[in-house]
Amino acid sequence: MTVTVLPAEYHFVKFDSSVVSALVEDLLDRLAMSGRDVVIEIDETTPLTRAELTSTAPVTLKVESGAYEEPKAPRTVSEANVLNVTGRLLLRVRDREQGGFADAPADAELSLPQTVAWDVYSTGRLQRLGVTVQRQRWLYHFRNRHGFTDDADAAFDRLWSADRLTWAELSALSEATVASSAA
Amino acid sequence: MRKFLPVAALARDERFTQVSMAERMSDPRSTRPGPGEDQRRRPNRLTPARRDAVDAARSLMHGIFVGEVQALEGAGRTCWDFETGTEVPFALKLDMARQAWDEARHVEISCKLADYMGTEIGEFSENTVLFEAACSHDPVLRLAGVNRALEGLAIDVFTTMKEFGELAGDPYLEFCEDWMLADEVTHVKMGSDWLRRITDGDPARRDQALEFQSVVDKLFSYGGVRSDSDQSPIGLARRFRELAGFTDDEIDHVAELSLSALNETTEKKASLRSQAAAAIVGADRS
Repeated sequence: MTVTVLPAEYHFVKFDSSVVSALVEDLLDRLAMSGRDVVIEIDETTPLTRAELTSTAPVTLKVESGAYEEPKAPRTVSEANVLNVTGRLLLRVRDREQGGFADAPADAELSLPQTVAWDVYSTGRLQRLGVTVQRQRWLYHFRNRHGFTDDADAAFDRLWSADRLTWAELSALSEATVASSAA
Repeated sequence: MRKFLPVAALARDERFTQVSMAERMSDPRSTRPGPGEDQRRRPNRLTPARRDAVDAARSLMHGIFVGEVQALEGAGRTCWDFETGTEVPFALKLDMARQAWDEARHVEISCKLADYMGTEIGEFSENTVLFEAACSHDPVLRLAGVNRALEGLAIDVFTTMKEFGELAGDPYLEFCEDWMLADEVTHVKMGSDWLRRITDGDPARRDQALEFQSVVDKLFSYGGVRSDSDQSPIGLARRFRELAGFTDDEIDHVAELSLSALNETTEKKASLRSQAAAAIVGADRS
């Protein structure tokens, strides 16, 4: 396994690639993905928070610096954000390869409700792997995309506690919840 | 009890991290393209349609929370810092006491809203520029800076958050922001009324206060975070400012200041980015 974090030196932010690299190596172990090579390209010129998978061989992530940033101390790296953001993307890779998500649309084709539903499913699993996460934050994300209803909260609980869903199950739950909230 | 408390003496526990305005503005990164930069212009207004909208709203909610704490501290200090009768009328202090009561309620509401949105106290850094505007030793300047500029910004922020809650279908956010917005309109109106009454017959002092308000208004635009432009996350709430006693000319003046702050920051960030890019090229060559 090799984890490469780029750039090696930063001029816009005060990140340390070796810190990010060590965190991701630990994460790969926890996710049982320690055989994978990973490249992380950090765009330090923007404080925005987008993070996306651009290739699977090797696993390549393009991450805007705001996604890994410590909100208490601007321009410094947050270990929790590195673990959460990278963990969600790596779980998507694992789901697509092993977990019944082969028929899921490409990330760019996912709707906002589908994206959040998958993120909730991933973050719940990260928590059970010992990663510190914010459950209430994700409940609020889910409600914003699926409605502020009891049905939405029940769907959230199901996604959060699930360990083996398929894309068909996840997308159907998301779609039904959006429809129920709109009714 | 000490009078005229400096910002460094504000009571905060270990959860809070304060970041100065200078530190914030020295960040060369920007969400906006600089002049001549080849990047597509895009709206930046805080609405649920933005992919990052929920976390942006959580961050803004935390900013509102610390802003309410500082507004409470500012209004409370105005009751204590000035002598009744010789420096300010008793009725002004009564209004500031009522405002402190409102702000204390807003702190509680903001705290509960932040918790509901999944934000912990101190999760984001605190900008103390709001309290700094409340440190003037002249009560008229303080009214201009706090009640007219700071509370005016609060009107813009609450209107944006209320609309966000409405669009997202979040009944709690929409309801709470609407109630706090009503209080803020009253606070601005109190500032407008007292500014005119105290400076009645003293046009030089009134001009000085309005000039100070302009400085604070520009500062509170946070480099263009608030303006009429759709590149700013927070819009200018013209209707509610009218209700709070701002004239059309005064609202236009705030709009011009905000747009100027947006343009200045865009240029400054572009310059900082150029410097950082040059440093990268230099490092690659060496």
